[in-house]
Amino acid sequence: MNSMYPFLFLSFFMFVIGLGVMIARKNIIAMLLGIELILNASALNFVTYTRFVNQNLDGHIMSLFIIIIAAAEAAVGLAIVIRFFQVRESIHIDDAAQLQA
Amino acid sequence: MDYTITTVAWIVLLPFFAFVINAFIVKKVPNVAVGISCAAIFGSFLLSGRIFFDFVFGKYSADYHVHKVFNWFDLNGGGQEFVMKMGIYIDNMTAMMLFMVTGVAFLIHIFSTYYMKEDTRYGRFFVYMSLFTSAMLGLVLSDNLISFFIFWELMGFCSYSLIGFYYEKEDAGNANIKAFMTTRIGDVFFLLGILAIYFQVGSFTFVDIYAAISSGMFTDATVTIFGFGLPLALIASLAIFMGTIGKSAQFPLQVWLPDAMMGPTPCSALIHAATMVAAGVYLSLRMFPLYEIHPFMLPFIATIGGITALGAATIALVQTDFKAVLAYSTISQLGYMVLGVGVGAYNAAFMHLITHAIFKACLFLAAGSVIHSLHDHHTHQHVQEMPRMGGLKNKMKFTWFAMWCCTFAIAGVPFFSGFVSKDRILGDALVMAMHNPYYWFPATLGFIGALLTAFYMCRMMFLAFHGEPRDKDLYDHIHEEKFSWNRNLPLLILALFTLGVWFSGSLTGQKLVKVASDKVEWFDTLIVKPKTENFKNYQKQNWGPVDIKSTISFPVSKYDSNHGLSEEEAHHVHSVHSIGAIASIIIAFSGIFIAFMMYIRKSWNPGWWVNTFSTWYRALQNKYYFDDMYIKGIIQKGLIPVNNFLAWVDMGIYDKYAIDGWEKVNRCAFTVSKWFDNIFVDTIAVDGTGASVRAFNVILRTFQSGKIQFYIIMIILVLSSYIWSLA
Repeated sequence: MNSMYPFLFLSFFMFVIGLGVMIARKNIIAMLLGIELILNASALNFVTYTRFVNQNLDGHIMSLFIIIIAAAEAAVGLAIVIRFFQVRESIHIDDAAQLQA
Repeated sequence: MDYTITTVAWIVLLPFFAFVINAFIVKKVPNVAVGISCAAIFGSFLLSGRIFFDFVFGKYSADYHVHKVFNWFDLNGGGQEFVMKMGIYIDNMTAMMLFMVTGVAFLIHIFSTYYMKEDTRYGRFFVYMSLFTSAMLGLVLSDNLISFFIFWELMGFCSYSLIGFYYEKEDAGNANIKAFMTTRIGDVFFLLGILAIYFQVGSFTFVDIYAAISSGMFTDATVTIFGFGLPLALIASLAIFMGTIGKSAQFPLQVWLPDAMMGPTPCSALIHAATMVAAGVYLSLRMFPLYEIHPFMLPFIATIGGITALGAATIALVQTDFKAVLAYSTISQLGYMVLGVGVGAYNAAFMHLITHAIFKACLFLAAGSVIHSLHDHHTHQHVQEMPRMGGLKNKMKFTWFAMWCCTFAIAGVPFFSGFVSKDRILGDALVMAMHNPYYWFPATLGFIGALLTAFYMCRMMFLAFHGEPRDKDLYDHIHEEKFSWNRNLPLLILALFTLGVWFSGSLTGQKLVKVASDKVEWFDTLIVKPKTENFKNYQKQNWGPVDIKSTISFPVSKYDSNHGLSEEEAHHVHSVHSIGAIASIIIAFSGIFIAFMMYIRKSWNPGWWVNTFSTWYRALQNKYYFDDMYIKGIIQKGLIPVNNFLAWVDMGIYDKYAIDGWEKVNRCAFTVSKWFDNIFVDTIAVDGTGASVRAFNVILRTFQSGKIQFYIIMIILVLSSYIWSLA
């Protein structure tokens, strides 16, 4: 476990999978999950670099912030999705092409 | 007692503020408006009284005057400085005028509260009266011709408004236009005269004009009109005298005054009898030193005065309208004043102005009292026609009494004021005639006019007040006159001042009856021709407190029964005056006697005169065809063709070619610019911009699909390309 590359590869895959989910899936909730994956990938990246390069606690603190932001973002995002479903009776992303109801 | 300038200014400002206030509240509370007007004029009366008593009994100097100036505005330009000064000039004449105007105006205001009470525009009448009084007082106080002219025109406006006061009547509307336009003719010349003087003297102020006259600035000055070099003194004085002719209704502009009787009777009393028409004579007296310069001027003035005095008196003989007789008598009496100016009787002309103002105001108020009582129950009109009167003496004692006093005064019965002043004018005319035979003409006209005056005034009195009532129905409806403060008191006060003793102790102002004390001759002592040489090196006093005890000392005037003449000349003058006085007395009584024989005894039949001199009778009834001549001759033959020609120039040339031609030019320009506008501006610039934006929009719109996943792909592509380029 002395190399940082496995972590970076894991982070890279999580990011790519998240991005792929965001681009490919038409379900809004699935897209939110994709965002979560991207956020986690970035948090993992921070921790990796701070562990192997800086060797202090900055990255850990940053990843804590990211987790908090991810939680807040999930709450807000889900609230929007629920409201969107009430209005449009759908959670298909293409139904959100128009701002107007 | 010291004056401040505000004291003097308030004389003018009180009625003016009354006018301003009343103009706003008059429709809501007419009674308050009337109260304000009367209070304001009473305030002016008190202030004027203070000045009057200070000047007349305090100073006792004919030369005493107060003159205060302030800068109205100053213009500097082109290296020249033009400072317009305004100010007040008070001498004995001003003080007497102020006292007379405010006193008469106050009494007329009081009478108006009786006469106008039931009128629908009760308050509005007082608005005009206040403005008028303020303008007249301002005119009297003016120290220069410009402010004089401003107030002069302001009075013209008030006169216009009051003549047309009953504007529902078409006659009244016509009459006020006629009065305004006729006086305007005189006023235009007056303004020209003012400018002519200004260009010679460089100032509008009376004292500067006097100084210029005494330094001989007018003696050789000429003015070139159409290539003719005419003496400036003659042109300027003729032009200014035209103002008098218009305002004082002298021949040949006398036509407006009889029509002015359309106004309410109190306004006739104030404006068209007592004060405004006298302003013309006042102007003549102020400008008297100018008139004296050219030898042609005074005989001309005397002739105009004589013609007016006799002509108006003859017209008055045949009038049947109560007020028309008084209107013509006013013109006639103004003619006497102008005659007085013309014969150099400065003092007598001014005295006649004052005495006439008092007795004529009284006559008009009495006429108002009569007319107001005569109410026709069939037509609901007031009756002014003398043939329907008669026997009114029994119903209105006070009016009858006051009117007889004034009739005696105007007819020239001894011991009444009119005799003193008119006889002096006629006496001086006789004296002038002795020196210069030309003056026999105006003097004779004046004497014949005096006979007719006595006759027609008594005729009016006999027809209205004596004999049997000719309209029984009308007579029976008249209420018995009971003494009331606002109807009879003004009449009786004015009648009291028709006594000659107020103005002169002697019967004729001369030695015919010896006077008890020289002090009684205050009028003669205090009013003298302005001595122009006193105004050389004159220092103007700047605007500040008016110190009535001025540091400038004036010699105390003493009554000079010789009037500055040598003993021998004075004796000659006195003998001529005595002849004149005796002639006047005989003339007055014979006029009264003829009227008595015709209308009371009925021994002489007036109808015989009418039949025998039917041509003359018709001429008199048509006022010597002056109105016809002006309308048919001047207006229809002269002015209307000119008017039509100007209308043709305007419509046929200017309108047709200039205006319509310009319209065609514009129409072509319009076509071109419309085409340019449509093609270039509208189609290419405005619509083109829109079309290009729309076309670009088609491309851009595809990027803005609203599909988030598309946006994400785009973001990734863009970011990748950044990274690619950085790497």
